[in-house]
Order: sequence, then structure tokens, then C-alpha cells
Amino acid sequence: MIDVNCYLGHYAFRQLRNNTADGLLRVMDAKGIEKAVVGSAAAVTYRNAQSGNEELHREIKSHRDRLIPFAVINPGYAGWVDDLKICREDFGMSGVRLHPGWHNYKPADTCCRELVAAATEHKMPVSIPIRVEDNRQRHWLVDVPDVRLGEIVDLVKNNPQATFILASGRGFKGCDLGKKNNSLPRNYYIEICRASALLDNEIGQLVENLGADRLLFGTGMPFHYPDPAILKLKVLDIPEADKEKIRRANAAGILG
Amino acid sequence: MKRREFLTAAAGIGLAGALSAGTSLAGDPKARPSEKTAPADSNADGTLVIDAHAHMFHRSKSNWKEMDRRVVEAADKLGIDQLCCSILTPKRPATAEGFQECNRWMADCMKRFPGRILGYCYVNPTHTKEALEDIRRCVEDRGFMGVKLYNEHRCTEPVVYPIVELAIELRVPILHHAGHMHFFLETQPKISDGSHLSELARRYPEAMLICAHAGGGGDWEWEIKSLRNAPSVYLDTSGSVIDEGMVEMCVDILGADRVLFACDNSMTPGMGKLIGAQLSKTDRRKLLGLNMKKILEKRKQS
Repeated sequence: MIDVNCYLGHYAFRQLRNNTADGLLRVMDAKGIEKAVVGSAAAVTYRNAQSGNEELHREIKSHRDRLIPFAVINPGYAGWVDDLKICREDFGMSGVRLHPGWHNYKPADTCCRELVAAATEHKMPVSIPIRVEDNRQRHWLVDVPDVRLGEIVDLVKNNPQATFILASGRGFKGCDLGKKNNSLPRNYYIEICRASALLDNEIGQLVENLGADRLLFGTGMPFHYPDPAILKLKVLDIPEADKEKIRRANAAGILG
Repeated sequence: MKRREFLTAAAGIGLAGALSAGTSLAGDPKARPSEKTAPADSNADGTLVIDAHAHMFHRSKSNWKEMDRRVVEAADKLGIDQLCCSILTPKRPATAEGFQECNRWMADCMKRFPGRILGYCYVNPTHTKEALEDIRRCVEDRGFMGVKLYNEHRCTEPVVYPIVELAIELRVPILHHAGHMHFFLETQPKISDGSHLSELARRYPEAMLICAHAGGGGDWEWEIKSLRNAPSVYLDTSGSVIDEGMVEMCVDILGADRVLFACDNSMTPGMGKLIGAQLSKTDRRKLLGLNMKKILEKRKQS
């Protein structure tokens, strides 16, 4: 399995366990996860997100065979172009992760469009976590709503050459992103850790509407237990070949 | 693989080893849910799995029958033996007629899925007379196993006391909707939290109170800590929140005897966090079913 939705480092509002490279790898080994995309959890709330990228780079230096770093870039912050260059060229980071709500910009803002364009130019996938934590458990000092899926639609539409990974979201079938024949470019992938596999079975409907080649396995570790996502794949009533795409093949294609 | 075997294996060696991909997790996949064998009354050696907090669907939904069936099918796939369910009115506060109708439907569900679906009697304490009558009718005549209270009143309001006193008399638990947010929840101004349930437990230490959904949204660390000194209050693990460490913290702070496995219809999140939690085999079995079984047996002993 390849997990496209992991974090390392400290988070400002809750103690995380298994948030070091060694800790995460231990859990991955126990659960049969071969590789994971990781971003800095600290960079979610650091004013200067680049410090989080530096920490991440140091943390995973000797585990690059299994941990694939994505750079958290805040396009509203001074020096982001330099940061992206350093993350790409010096740190060898393969993609970028955006936290529009936490970093106080909208997906439609010019700065975000510029960042997506820069990432696309260098063939770096753009990961957008729809949420980091459930908003209902928010700290009294902050209120960061989930990224609105409707805002993602325009971003996807306006950047057909980009590759987007939409992580920790659900409710896609309620907007164009999850609809059949939606006329959107096939440039976005949906990670499944929050979508249902039973009852209303959102994952099954997304497979039907978009195709299994548009979904990705992810867990949200170490914020989340990995087991719910693994369990979803187990109980999902789709052909094994489709599960294999979600479990591994699609991510391998994106990450190279 | 039978339901009980699935959980025993999953708890012991991890899910990956417990299942072969693409197969149903429980029994004959062609069997209709209602045809599944009801679990044995007592099985100390197996892993009895009881979902302490679930729902059947209000019949104003055109597809209620299909949705009810899907819940039971999901339970089959996840190795859940029994589901403790209620039906809530879509609009609250519930009228007396509204909750009485829900409870009649709940009784029908129990007949449609005998031994699989157990019933909580849902009432709004505002309508004291009708609520007390319906609870007695449901428990004594219809075989319901408990009372479900939602957010019409904070559980510390005196209007709730007669309900608690009747539940004590009937020896059934009260599952109380709860959550603690660090902001005012406009849609649920009277939502209870762990501190309110603790206060109620101090007034009625003999009551069996279940604080709903640690993972239902809200500060679950706060919720768990607020229940530490209320030994008669249980906490169920249900809800869509799958934060790593949540179940372990429940057990560390409250003890394994006070934590109940539940999904609240968030099926794979509910079961996934129990599989993922680092617990001893003994504690996992307590959470998965043995604790709820003990609660259910209190009624039988009366």
C-alpha cells in the first residue's frame, strides 16, 4: 500500500504519537504500508512554514526509500518562491501540500494560482487536505473551517496540467468533483480516508462515477488511526483489480 | 469466517492477517441480514461484539427499509453481533406523538431483525407523562433494552430526573447524546457533555449512564477527562472522528470496564479505531461487547 496522506512532527493543538520517522515507519510496517507521502504537521501553524519543511527534511533523511516528502508552502508568505526552490532542489521534495484555511488564503487567490502554476511547471503534485482535524474539536483560539469543495472545482478547472491530491475530504458526490461526466479535467485524485465504504458508500459511488483510477489510499496518520482506511478497502464491494489501483498503483503512477 | 472469529482474529493479529481481500467478513455473503444467526446469550470464550450506539432510520425517508437493511449488512461485514438502536425524529424537539411513533417503528425493527437489533426507547423529557408511559411500555412489553435521550434538555435539568428514576427502576441504561465544544453550538444549545453526565451521576449513582460518542465531534480529551471521577458513567467510542490515541485514552483514564464500542452508524470509523487501538486482548473484548453485555444482563436479573 502507498499512503498519500501522512504527517510528521508536532501539531500545535494535540499531542501526536508516532509522529517521528521511526514511529511512523513502525506503524507502516505493522499495517503493511510500503511508502507514505509525508508533510510537516508543525508547518500547519508555523508562521514561517519553511521551518517545518526543514525539520521534515532532517527527520526523514535516512528513510527516503519509504517516506516521500511534500513541501508545505504558504503562498501568502514572504519568500515562498525561494522556499519552493529549496524544497525541490536541495531537499528533493516531490510535491507540495497546501493548507489554504490555516494559511489564510483562498484557492482562488492569485498567490495560490501562482503556486499551483510553479508546482505544475516542475511536475510536482499539489496535495490539498480538506481538513487537518475535525473542526468541531477546534481550539478556543482558532476557527479554521474545512476547505470548501466548490473552491477546489475552479482550481482544478483552471489548471488542467496540474495534478491534485484531495486528501481528508468527503461529500465529493455532492459537488462536481464527484459527479459522472462532470467535464472537469482528469487531473485530480481523491484520497479515501474520510469517505464511507458502507451505508451510503461514497467510495463505491466515486469508483462508479470517476473510475477506480482516480482514487488513492490514505490514512491521515499520525492524526488518525490507519485502520479505518484499511478497513474501507477490505469491505469495499469492488473488483480486486480496482482495489489494487487504489491501494497502490494510482499513487505509484503519480509519485513516479 | 463468522462474525466472532473475525474480531478475535482482527484483535489478535491485525486486520491484514484476519481477512482475505474481497471476501465478506462474516458468514455466507448471500444470506439476507435477517437470516443471520443471533449471537449466543453468553460466550465467554468468543469475542462478542455489541454496538452500543446505532440508529435505524425514520420512516419519512423513502428508502428507510433499504437503509435499515444496509446497517445490518454493514454489521455483518464488520463482525458486529448486535446493534443497540434508536430511531430519532428528524426534527427536534420531538413531540410526544413523534417519539411514540419512532418507538413503534423501533419495535418493528426488533421483530424484523430478531436478536440483531436491540432497542433504545427515545423520548423527549418535556412530555413527562407520555415519556414515562412509553419507556415502561417499551421496556416491559416490547423488550427494549434502554432509553435514549438527545439534546432537548441538558441532562442536569430537573425535567430529566423522572426519566432517570424510571430507568433505575427498570434497570436499563440511558444513552445520552453528548459532546463538548469550545464554542457555543447554536444548533444544539442544550447539548450535554461529560461534566453534565458526571453531575447527573452524582445525583443518581445507581443509574447506568452512557455518555455518547467520544468520537462524535468536539474535544474528546476534555470529554474523557471530565468523566474520570464519575465511576457509574460509561463512554461509547462512536462517531466519525478517528483520532489516533482516543480509545487508548478512554481506557487509560476511565478504565476498560467503562468504555463501550459503538459506531453511531459511522461503521468503518467505529470498528477501525477499535482494531487500531493498542489494547490488551482482555480489554478489547470488554470494549467490544462484554461491558455492554453486563449492562444488558442487569435488566434480565431484575
